[in-house]
Amino acid sequence: MNVITDSFRVAWIDFMFIKRNIIVVLLTSLVTPLLYIVAFGYGFGSGATVEGFDYIAFMIPGVISISTMTSCFNNVATKVMIQRTYYQSFDELFLCSMKPTSIVLGKAWAGMVRSIISCSILYTIGLFITDDMHLTLQAVGIILVCCLTYALLGVVAGMLSNSHLTMTLFTTLVITPMSFLSGTIFSLDALPDFAQYILYALPLTHSTDCIRSAILGTEFPWISLAIIICYAVAFIIISRHVVVKGRH
Amino acid sequence: MNRIVEVNNLVVRFGDFTAVNGISFDVKEGEIFGFLGPNGAGKTTTIRTITTIQEYDSGSVKIDGHDIKTEYLEARKLIGIAQQHISLDKDLTVRQNLKHHAILHKIPRKDIDRVVKETADILELGEFMDHKVMDLSGGWKRKAAIVAAIIHNPKILLLDEPTAGLDTRSRYMLWDLVRMLNARGTTIFLTTHYIEEAESLCDRVAIINHGKLVAIGTTDELRDMIGKVAVDTTDDNGKRMVRYFETREAAKDFSATLGERMFSVRRTTLEDVFLEITGESGRKLQ
Repeated sequence: MNVITDSFRVAWIDFMFIKRNIIVVLLTSLVTPLLYIVAFGYGFGSGATVEGFDYIAFMIPGVISISTMTSCFNNVATKVMIQRTYYQSFDELFLCSMKPTSIVLGKAWAGMVRSIISCSILYTIGLFITDDMHLTLQAVGIILVCCLTYALLGVVAGMLSNSHLTMTLFTTLVITPMSFLSGTIFSLDALPDFAQYILYALPLTHSTDCIRSAILGTEFPWISLAIIICYAVAFIIISRHVVVKGRH
Repeated sequence: MNRIVEVNNLVVRFGDFTAVNGISFDVKEGEIFGFLGPNGAGKTTTIRTITTIQEYDSGSVKIDGHDIKTEYLEARKLIGIAQQHISLDKDLTVRQNLKHHAILHKIPRKDIDRVVKETADILELGEFMDHKVMDLSGGWKRKAAIVAAIIHNPKILLLDEPTAGLDTRSRYMLWDLVRMLNARGTTIFLTTHYIEEAESLCDRVAIINHGKLVAIGTTDELRDMIGKVAVDTTDDNGKRMVRYFETREAAKDFSATLGERMFSVRRTTLEDVFLEITGESGRKLQ
């Protein structure tokens, strides 16, 4: 319990930042996903049907899935990298007797909050746009799990990056391709089998499947949920390890 | 006097490079202890080790009797540190940063506002409390960082190069701050590469070079090691030459033998001590 309490102590300053800069936080979190909805949903995909749903109903859960990742990842990874390399404030956390797990979770919470804000707005917009989308507890739960998973990935990346250049490289080579290729805005059925095998190794593919089925009410892919949880556990172990190593 | 920091045969290596090479020293409760040395001498590594941030290879460090390896949680509670770089969140105000430090140090929620205000008032930070850290001058940023470091009322405050890069006025402001904190009972351990800072502030000074402790004592004790009086002159080739003497009379006697050569007689400084002890007369401290 102390670990969780301490993690909120760590997160306090990032929550303050969000509170103080809420307009900027909303704009930076929402503009890109809204553009996706307008450009792909109403532009290219207008009138199309995918997997038995209107394209707009198919893609909005995908865009929410993208948001769980990009919003969390970008904010956490950049903030951790800056605090570690430019502000050098990570050492202070150790001096305050914070355990590595508290530091990892504390850094993840703020990213989760940002992501939850943007996902909530996108979800609400989707509920107004299409009748195929439903507000379910299962969807809320899986969105929270996904946000935590990608926030932890952000901690790992932030701890391993020593400059904006490295961070940009990671985003360009890992995050951006994953955003487009994980079945977020098109059905993976359209791809050859070997490509599907590769894409099913990525966590976002499973996040998208879970979020979409929870929102659209199709059969829930429990195996995908288990895989996401495995990723989350792996990220927390790795991030804890790099936080401990990064101390020295 | 109680020893608040005890360092014994401390060795810190980074791969093949030995940054700190078997140093031993004590810091006494209530004193201002200076760690003097050029850039790269091992000052920051030592201070980071004492604060438990840096792991070490061998030796031991105790803070008020608590071994930092086995009782690091107890040791950390007694330490406040203002690092060389300002580690406050520059996007937020001074008040928010101080509150965060208070929260991190687990000061009860109901006491946080009072503790932040009291600490800031003591150090006269009041008018800048609601300024963003990024908007402050270098001196005030440093002052805010020191306030953050003492928010939990540590027994010992470690300052790593507290005045590096500051103008003269800001430097004097921080010197006054250090003296005031010390007068209130906080033991101060500071690293510096400014000789005048060590001379002006510190009760005792340790000189470190290439990871080794080359001298330790009060300023007077260190001067006594080489002689209290220095005679500056030049040799036949015009190269600077310094000789040290125990007494002014001995220095005058020597000066009388210099004939037509230019010379000056002056008080020995810590810089003389450093150059003489390390044998690095070509390597001048700032």
